[in-house]
Amino acid sequence: MVALPESQVRRPRRPGSEVRRLRRPSAREAGTALLFVLPFLLLFAIFRFGPAIAGVILGFTDYTIGGDTSWAGLENFRRLVDDPTFWSALRVTVVFTALSVPLSMLASLGMALLTRRAFRGAKLFRSIFFLPVVTSLVLAGVVFTWVFADGGPWSRAMGALGLPAGSWLADSALVVPALVLVSVWSRFGYGMLILLARLQDIPAELEEAALTDGASAWQRFRYVTLPQLRPALFFVAIIETTVSFQVFDMIYVMTGGGPVRSSYSLVYLLYDQGFKYFDLGYASAVGVALFVMTIVVALIQRLTLGREE
Amino acid sequence: MTDTITPPATAAPATERPRRARRPYLADRAGRGWVIGRTALLLAGAVLTLFPFYAMVVLSLKPTGPVTFPDSLLPWPFSTEAYDQVIGAKSVLRWMGNTLVYSVVSVVGVLLFASMAGYAFAKKRFPGKETMFWSFLAMLMVPYHVTMIPTFIIISELNGVDTYWGMIVPTLANAQAVFLMRQFIASLPDSLFEAARLDGCSEWRVYVSIVLPLIKPILATLGVFVFLWHWNDFLWPLIVGQSLDMRTLTTGIASLQQENVPLNMLLAGSVVAFVPIFMAYLIGQRYFQEGVSTTGIKG
Repeated sequence: MVALPESQVRRPRRPGSEVRRLRRPSAREAGTALLFVLPFLLLFAIFRFGPAIAGVILGFTDYTIGGDTSWAGLENFRRLVDDPTFWSALRVTVVFTALSVPLSMLASLGMALLTRRAFRGAKLFRSIFFLPVVTSLVLAGVVFTWVFADGGPWSRAMGALGLPAGSWLADSALVVPALVLVSVWSRFGYGMLILLARLQDIPAELEEAALTDGASAWQRFRYVTLPQLRPALFFVAIIETTVSFQVFDMIYVMTGGGPVRSSYSLVYLLYDQGFKYFDLGYASAVGVALFVMTIVVALIQRLTLGREE
Repeated sequence: MTDTITPPATAAPATERPRRARRPYLADRAGRGWVIGRTALLLAGAVLTLFPFYAMVVLSLKPTGPVTFPDSLLPWPFSTEAYDQVIGAKSVLRWMGNTLVYSVVSVVGVLLFASMAGYAFAKKRFPGKETMFWSFLAMLMVPYHVTMIPTFIIISELNGVDTYWGMIVPTLANAQAVFLMRQFIASLPDSLFEAARLDGCSEWRVYVSIVLPLIKPILATLGVFVFLWHWNDFLWPLIVGQSLDMRTLTTGIASLQQENVPLNMLLAGSVVAFVPIFMAYLIGQRYFQEGVSTTGIKG
């Protein structure tokens, strides 16, 4: 997706090693090398490569655990299109992603810019902001269930601001925004670190030149920093979108998909169909839909964020 | 286990990233207003970020009973009752053990197989090398959930449901780890291995006594991440560890929540599950942050 092949240019090697490189690998050398690759290769073939292909094929079959397998053609996808649950899960997933990715990226960018310079405490702040990233969403989900409970901190704070009080998790219109807040809390530290790494690499001369030309802080950000950050922003956008599309853990813990399926995501649908009703063919079709969505969005982001200036 | 993507990272080892020395420039000219504003924003962000952790700890140290807000956020009445119950519960200890086995065995397995394969990909030539490598890359694009279903079928056909091996073995096929290893090992000079080989060392000997010591930094970085992924993993343990005895801390706590266990106990369990990660984070902080910023490995 974002991995770049290494350039074809061979680095100059030390004298003495060229001789070895130029002749064909001896059978023995190739044999030992293969032995080194073999354990991983077997694991990869059985548990990643095979299943990835089987997972797509299963989407076109009728497969239930303990039942017979039969070719179903597009039947699963026809069912998917006719299934209102699929459409609502798709809507929940898309709305969740459309809200959480931009918000999380804004928070990432803001905190990266604020902790960019070396000042006393900068490192501590970075560590604090990254802490939620290493915290399991199940544990976070348990705490946030209380945070969003009726009469809990969030509903009191909202009530004080004149916004909808009461439990956001029990309100079908507000449950996704509540989940988005948890998601932003848990993810923004990751983007912040990626953007920080890129910010540190921007040549100081660029900004100094802009400063000398009398550019305002906003202009420096808009015309110097932002263009330099573009590739990193694209990378974060891709990762965060992929993560958001697959949202499941915290929904399982916080709402169970409710109220009335208003926080029921695509992966939740896949889990229910596959591991509650054992309809693995249909679950795979949901997986294929997720796959297609991920690729389409990655392409769109490639064309918008990833384009060259 | 989630898969991650390798960005066009630098080939520099993940522990020492040469940076040009910089003159502090803009910060000097920043006015006092900017510094005060920045500090205020950062403090607000830190408070919001840390609040859930504070709530988790304080609420877990309460006697069982109704939880009201805001007085429940004060550290009294103080009681370790929830911890006595949780740590005394057989099942929680069992889940902790399961999580530890799942995480530690996976770390060892991933590091071993990925470093062996990475060494061969970086420094050896063998037929099919390119094909294999591109197939690893291509598979990174397929979402984990697509592969999860057939993987589960394979595991259940082999009677691996509710077993440690059934939970662990599929997660060892981590292509991301092989990329990182290959990238790191490729940056080591060939002469290091040549000399040993000329002295008549076997390949295995070269790998054990030369490669492994040299790649310690990347082993540490990858190790903390693999540990983290497994410790926090949820969906895979949920479908493979179905019996009460085979739950991990994450799936166990989620099941407790559905049984309406009192909040202080749920949170005590959460604290118990969080402490090892927090410790790992404090100790391996440098590896976490370097790992993300130099390789883009997913947190």
